[in-house]
Amino acid sequence: MSLGSVKYLIGEGARNIRANRQMSIASIGVLVACMLLIGAAVLFSLNADAVMGYIESQNDVVVFVVDEADEEEAEGLGETLSAIENVSSVRYISRSEALEGQMERLGNSAYLMDALREDNPLPATYYVKVKDLEFLADTVAKIQALDLVLEVNSPTDMAATMVGIKKAVNLGGTAIVAILGAVSILIVSNTIKLTIFNRRREISIMKYVGATDSFIRFPFLVEGVIIGLCSALLAFGLLWVGYYYLMDWMSAATSSWLQLAYQHLIRFEDIAYRMLGGFCGAGAAFGVAGALFFVGRYLKV
Amino acid sequence: MEAIITFKDVSKTYESGTHALHHISLHVDKGEFVFIVGPSGAGKSTLIKMLLREETPTKGTVLVNGYNLCTMKRRHIPAFRRTIGVVFQDFRLIPTMTVYENVAFAMQVTNVSTKYIRRRVPYILDLLGLAKKARSYPPEISGGEQQRVALARALVNNPALIIADEPTGNIDPELSYEIVELLNEINRCGTTIVMVTHEHGLVAQFDHRVIGIEKGRITLDRGGKQQ
Repeated sequence: MSLGSVKYLIGEGARNIRANRQMSIASIGVLVACMLLIGAAVLFSLNADAVMGYIESQNDVVVFVVDEADEEEAEGLGETLSAIENVSSVRYISRSEALEGQMERLGNSAYLMDALREDNPLPATYYVKVKDLEFLADTVAKIQALDLVLEVNSPTDMAATMVGIKKAVNLGGTAIVAILGAVSILIVSNTIKLTIFNRRREISIMKYVGATDSFIRFPFLVEGVIIGLCSALLAFGLLWVGYYYLMDWMSAATSSWLQLAYQHLIRFEDIAYRMLGGFCGAGAAFGVAGALFFVGRYLKV
Repeated sequence: MEAIITFKDVSKTYESGTHALHHISLHVDKGEFVFIVGPSGAGKSTLIKMLLREETPTKGTVLVNGYNLCTMKRRHIPAFRRTIGVVFQDFRLIPTMTVYENVAFAMQVTNVSTKYIRRRVPYILDLLGLAKKARSYPPEISGGEQQRVALARALVNNPALIIADEPTGNIDPELSYEIVELLNEINRCGTTIVMVTHEHGLVAQFDHRVIGIEKGRITLDRGGKQQ
């Protein structure tokens, strides 16, 4: 194919979009609808994950240090704790800090504790956050086995529930996205089939005139890719605007629950590139697939 | 004279079991004008489909324009089709392309320069009296005009052979004569014409070879008086 031909065929692809406006608009509509649904499902699932992650991080494992340990030894334990695989952060409260904390909580009655300053009965404490609640029991066992550890308090029941909910949210999100994806593929390929079926006569005419298969396919390819990319940009823009308004509404919400969730939602910018890339990839892929698979059946004239 | 179309003992049986053609042998020389007549279902359409390499014979050999259509590879079909021009009863113009674009398309597929296309298409349109319709779309013009566009498209690549399948079937009788007259004109310039029709009145007005087909067999082959 010469350069002139390529230019002509790209022009033909663009012209076909205009010439078959109705089908072009219908195709873009279907593609945008599918992308919006999938995009919304992905956003919902990612956000549910993020909120769950936040709730998960609220659970501290409390580690009491044996009284016999001096200040230095107790602080050394922190490093050992941090080195455990599933531990994400460690906060140390020394014995005197623990006492002051208690006194502060007592407020006006704090003087009752004054007597204890001499012989502080409170142990030094570590508040340990774990990365993954699923392996909490394992981690707790590891901590318990350490020297200088007096006792470990952990939210084991709570953790099991949280892990269950998180898994369900995860699975549900993935399932919804997968189902929507499958349905979209079906709908979009049917739309493409219909578009090409509408033009089977045109294809056969081209064959009679002596056009090669690739000469006929190329404009369909150009057309499909342009429609796919337009739909991707449109869906991406709509989703961005929609998400922006939703976030806006949530930030103004009075419900404390919504407020809390809002603070841990992901920002659209964080996934914007990946989502745009996904949309464009899917849109272009449908265009190419349409030209490769569905045009073929009408080329046998 | 050199043959441009040769059918050697050609038979065609469709998968459905229909025997469309029985042992057809036929020669058409370069520069001839041939009418193919016969009732519907006689096998005319099958004959045309074979000339266009849309169908291949079950038995026998078909040679057109130096190509053996029976042994031809699929990828060589486009090159073969560019050497012939086709006109159909239902015009087969692309409705979303203008008259100009429909004719230009037949040239685009042949990879000739855009410059040449821009010179050649207006010339052909002018020749067929379509210059003023160049920017119209096929649905906007009359049947007779559409058929002239189809003829322009068939002519534009200067083919050695034009196949016309009931070219007058969908247009007014008074315009039918005009279309055949145009074909006649083209024939005088040396192009071979094969025209399928069932309008005997039209055939009688021209002094050309007539081949009759009935039930898949050639029942008549009468040369024109001049030949």
